Amino acid sequence: MKFAIALFAAPHQPSSRRALRFAQAVIAQGHEIVRLFFYQDGVYNASSAVVSGQDEIDLPSQWREFVDQHQLDGVVCIAAALRRGALNDEEAARYSRTAASVQAPWQLSGLGQLHEANQIADRLICFGGA
Amino acid sequence: MPTLHVLSDSPFTDASLSSCLRLLNEDDGLLLCGDAVYALLADTPQLQALELIPDSIQLYALEEDVQARSIDAPACAQVIDYPEFVRLSLKFAKVNSWL
Repeated sequence: MKFAIALFAAPHQPSSRRALRFAQAVIAQGHEIVRLFFYQDGVYNASSAVVSGQDEIDLPSQWREFVDQHQLDGVVCIAAALRRGALNDEEAARYSRTAASVQAPWQLSGLGQLHEANQIADRLICFGGA
Repeated sequence: MPTLHVLSDSPFTDASLSSCLRLLNEDDGLLLCGDAVYALLADTPQLQALELIPDSIQLYALEEDVQARSIDAPACAQVIDYPEFVRLSLKFAKVNSWL
Protein backbone atom coordinates (compact mmCIF):
# COMPACT_ATOMS: atom_id res chain seq x y z
CA MET A 1 0.00 0.00 0.00
CA LYS A 2 1.04 3.60 -0.60
CA PHE A 3 1.40 6.05 2.27
CA ALA A 4 1.87 9.80 2.31
CA ILE A 5 3.07 11.22 5.62
CA ALA A 6 2.70 14.88 6.61
CA LEU A 7 4.48 16.33 9.62
CA PHE A 8 3.39 19.64 11.15
CA ALA A 9 5.50 19.69 14.33
CA ALA A 10 9.05 20.84 15.12
CA PRO A 11 11.79 18.30 15.98
CA HIS A 12 11.57 19.00 19.72
CA GLN A 13 7.88 18.06 19.79
CA PRO A 14 7.00 14.40 20.47
CA SER A 15 4.86 14.04 17.35
CA SER A 16 7.96 14.42 15.14
CA ARG A 17 9.45 11.32 16.71
CA ARG A 18 6.10 9.54 16.42
CA ALA A 19 5.96 10.34 12.71
CA LEU A 20 9.45 8.92 12.17
CA ARG A 21 8.71 5.73 14.12
CA PHE A 22 5.48 5.30 12.15
CA ALA A 23 7.31 5.85 8.85
CA GLN A 24 9.94 3.27 9.83
CA ALA A 25 7.18 0.77 10.63
CA VAL A 26 5.53 1.46 7.26
CA ILE A 27 8.76 0.61 5.42
CA ALA A 28 9.42 -2.40 7.67
CA GLN A 29 6.09 -3.88 6.61
CA GLY A 30 6.97 -3.56 2.94
CA HIS A 31 4.69 -0.64 2.15
CA GLU A 32 5.68 2.38 0.10
CA ILE A 33 5.97 6.00 1.25
CA VAL A 34 5.17 8.07 -1.84
CA ARG A 35 6.06 11.36 -0.17
CA LEU A 36 7.01 12.94 3.13
CA PHE A 37 5.71 16.47 3.43
CA PHE A 38 6.96 18.83 6.14
CA TYR A 39 4.65 21.76 6.78
CA GLN A 40 4.37 24.57 9.34
CA ASP A 41 6.91 23.99 12.17
CA GLY A 42 7.63 20.59 10.63
CA VAL A 43 10.05 22.33 8.26
CA TYR A 44 12.62 22.55 11.09
CA ASN A 45 13.04 18.77 10.78
CA ALA A 46 14.73 19.41 7.42
CA SER A 47 17.18 21.95 8.82
CA SER A 48 20.84 20.98 9.07
CA ALA A 49 21.34 23.87 11.54
CA VAL A 50 19.40 22.27 14.40
CA VAL A 51 21.65 21.20 17.29
CA SER A 52 20.19 18.63 19.68
CA GLY A 53 21.35 18.10 23.26
CA GLN A 54 23.84 15.27 23.74
CA ASP A 55 21.34 13.28 25.76
CA GLU A 56 18.52 13.85 23.27
CA ILE A 57 17.73 12.19 19.98
CA ASP A 58 18.77 14.17 16.92
CA LEU A 59 15.58 13.98 14.87
CA PRO A 60 16.68 16.13 11.91
CA SER A 61 19.64 13.82 11.30
CA GLN A 62 17.52 10.70 11.85
CA TRP A 63 15.01 11.96 9.30
CA ARG A 64 17.83 12.73 6.85
CA GLU A 65 19.31 9.24 7.24
CA PHE A 66 15.88 7.65 6.84
CA VAL A 67 15.10 9.57 3.64
CA ASP A 68 18.57 8.90 2.23
CA GLN A 69 18.49 5.22 3.10
CA HIS A 70 15.13 4.57 1.47
CA GLN A 71 15.46 7.13 -1.36
CA LEU A 72 12.23 8.85 -0.37
CA ASP A 73 10.66 11.97 -1.78
CA GLY A 74 11.16 14.45 1.06
CA VAL A 75 9.35 17.73 0.38
CA VAL A 76 9.44 20.83 2.58
CA CYS A 77 6.79 23.52 2.15
CA ILE A 78 8.67 26.46 0.67
CA ALA A 79 6.43 29.19 2.12
CA ALA A 80 6.59 27.68 5.62
CA ALA A 81 10.36 27.22 5.29
CA LEU A 82 11.13 30.75 4.07
CA ARG A 83 9.25 32.42 6.91
CA ARG A 84 11.12 30.23 9.42
CA GLY A 85 14.55 30.89 7.91
CA ALA A 86 15.03 27.38 6.54
CA LEU A 87 16.50 28.14 3.11
CA ASN A 88 18.40 26.13 0.54
CA ASP A 89 21.26 27.63 -1.48
CA GLU A 90 18.95 28.78 -4.25
CA GLU A 91 16.56 30.62 -1.92
CA ALA A 92 19.41 32.09 0.14
CA ALA A 93 20.85 33.56 -3.06
CA ARG A 94 17.45 34.76 -4.25
CA TYR A 95 16.77 36.67 -1.03
CA SER A 96 20.39 37.67 -0.29
CA ARG A 97 20.62 35.69 2.93
CA THR A 98 23.97 34.54 4.31
CA ALA A 99 23.00 31.06 5.45
CA ALA A 100 21.33 28.04 3.91
CA SER A 101 20.28 25.18 6.17
CA VAL A 102 18.26 22.91 3.87
CA GLN A 103 20.24 20.54 1.67
CA ALA A 104 19.60 17.31 -0.20
CA PRO A 105 17.75 15.00 0.20
CA TRP A 106 15.19 17.70 1.04
CA GLN A 107 13.47 19.73 -1.64
CA LEU A 108 11.61 22.98 -1.12
CA SER A 109 8.33 22.98 -3.00
CA GLY A 110 4.72 24.10 -2.80
CA LEU A 111 1.67 22.94 -0.93
CA GLY A 112 0.41 21.38 -4.16
CA GLN A 113 2.86 18.55 -3.45
CA LEU A 114 0.83 17.63 -0.36
CA HIS A 115 -2.37 17.66 -2.35
CA GLU A 116 -0.82 15.51 -5.05
CA ALA A 117 0.59 13.06 -2.48
CA ASN A 118 -2.91 12.67 -1.07
CA GLN A 119 -4.17 11.78 -4.56
CA ILE A 120 -1.41 9.23 -5.19
CA ALA A 121 -1.41 7.53 -1.79
CA ASP A 122 -3.89 5.07 -0.32
CA ARG A 123 -3.53 6.79 3.04
CA LEU A 124 -2.43 10.23 4.16
CA ILE A 125 -1.29 10.19 7.77
CA CYS A 126 -0.71 13.54 9.50
CA PHE A 127 1.35 14.08 12.62
CA GLY A 128 1.33 17.21 14.75
CA GLY A 129 0.47 18.59 18.12
CA ALA A 130 1.83 17.19 21.37
CA MET B 1 -16.53 5.53 6.05
CA PRO B 2 -14.77 3.83 9.00
CA THR B 3 -12.27 6.36 10.29
CA LEU B 4 -9.44 6.03 12.77
CA HIS B 5 -9.31 9.20 14.84
CA VAL B 6 -5.88 9.98 16.29
CA LEU B 7 -5.62 12.26 19.32
CA SER B 8 -2.35 13.52 20.78
CA ASP B 9 -3.24 16.50 22.98
CA SER B 10 -3.96 16.12 26.68
CA PRO B 11 -7.70 15.99 27.41
CA PHE B 12 -6.99 18.12 30.49
CA THR B 13 -5.76 21.10 28.44
CA ASP B 14 -7.55 20.69 25.13
CA ALA B 15 -11.12 20.04 23.99
CA SER B 16 -10.28 17.68 21.13
CA LEU B 17 -11.30 14.54 23.06
CA SER B 18 -14.78 15.83 23.87
CA SER B 19 -15.22 17.16 20.32
CA CYS B 20 -14.04 13.87 18.87
CA LEU B 21 -16.36 11.80 21.07
CA ARG B 22 -19.34 13.76 19.74
CA LEU B 23 -18.31 13.05 16.14
CA LEU B 24 -17.46 9.36 16.39
CA ASN B 25 -19.52 7.13 14.13
CA GLU B 26 -20.26 3.47 14.52
CA ASP B 27 -17.25 1.43 13.26
CA ASP B 28 -14.82 4.31 13.82
CA GLY B 29 -11.75 3.79 15.97
CA LEU B 30 -10.00 6.09 18.43
CA LEU B 31 -6.24 6.00 18.97
CA LEU B 32 -4.73 7.89 21.89
CA CYS B 33 -1.08 8.82 21.65
CA GLY B 34 1.18 11.43 23.23
CA ASP B 35 -0.43 13.35 26.07
CA ALA B 36 -3.87 12.15 24.94
CA VAL B 37 -3.19 8.88 26.82
CA TYR B 38 -3.78 10.85 30.04
CA ALA B 39 -7.46 10.29 29.21
CA LEU B 40 -6.87 6.74 30.52
CA LEU B 41 -6.07 7.93 34.05
CA ALA B 42 -8.25 6.20 36.61
CA ASP B 43 -11.07 8.05 38.33
CA THR B 44 -11.34 10.87 35.82
CA PRO B 45 -14.36 12.14 33.86
CA GLN B 46 -12.27 11.60 30.71
CA LEU B 47 -11.96 7.87 31.34
CA GLN B 48 -15.63 7.65 32.29
CA ALA B 49 -16.51 9.23 28.95
CA LEU B 50 -14.31 6.73 27.12
CA GLU B 51 -15.93 3.83 28.94
CA LEU B 52 -19.32 4.98 27.68
CA ILE B 53 -18.54 4.81 23.96
CA PRO B 54 -20.34 1.96 22.15
CA ASP B 55 -18.64 -1.42 21.80
CA SER B 56 -18.53 -1.03 18.01
CA ILE B 57 -15.95 1.75 18.45
CA GLN B 58 -12.58 0.30 19.39
CA LEU B 59 -10.29 2.30 21.64
CA TYR B 60 -6.51 2.04 21.19
CA ALA B 61 -3.54 3.57 23.00
CA LEU B 62 0.05 3.77 21.78
CA GLU B 63 2.24 1.56 23.95
CA GLU B 64 5.32 3.79 24.30
CA ASP B 65 3.24 6.80 25.34
CA VAL B 66 1.32 4.76 27.90
CA GLN B 67 4.57 3.36 29.32
CA ALA B 68 6.36 6.73 29.29
CA ARG B 69 3.61 8.15 31.51
CA SER B 70 3.38 5.08 33.75
CA ILE B 71 -0.31 4.65 33.06
CA ASP B 72 -2.08 1.36 33.69
CA ALA B 73 -4.23 1.01 30.61
CA PRO B 74 -7.82 0.09 31.51
CA ALA B 75 -9.58 -2.90 29.96
CA CYS B 76 -11.48 -0.70 27.51
CA ALA B 77 -8.25 0.30 25.73
CA GLN B 78 -6.17 -1.95 23.52
CA VAL B 79 -2.48 -1.08 23.79
CA ILE B 80 -0.70 -1.16 20.42
CA ASP B 81 2.82 -0.68 19.05
CA TYR B 82 3.91 1.08 15.83
CA PRO B 83 3.55 -1.97 13.52
CA GLU B 84 -0.02 -2.35 14.77
CA PHE B 85 -0.59 1.41 14.26
CA VAL B 86 0.38 0.91 10.60
CA ARG B 87 -1.98 -2.08 10.26
CA LEU B 88 -4.81 -0.08 11.86
CA SER B 89 -4.26 2.80 9.44
CA LEU B 90 -4.97 0.34 6.62
CA LYS B 91 -7.84 -1.42 8.37
CA PHE B 92 -9.75 1.85 8.60
CA ALA B 93 -10.66 3.65 5.37
CA LYS B 94 -9.28 6.98 6.62
CA VAL B 95 -7.05 8.29 9.36
CA ASN B 96 -8.05 11.62 10.87
CA SER B 97 -5.40 13.23 13.06
CA TRP B 98 -6.69 15.90 15.42
CA LEU B 99 -3.84 18.42 15.20
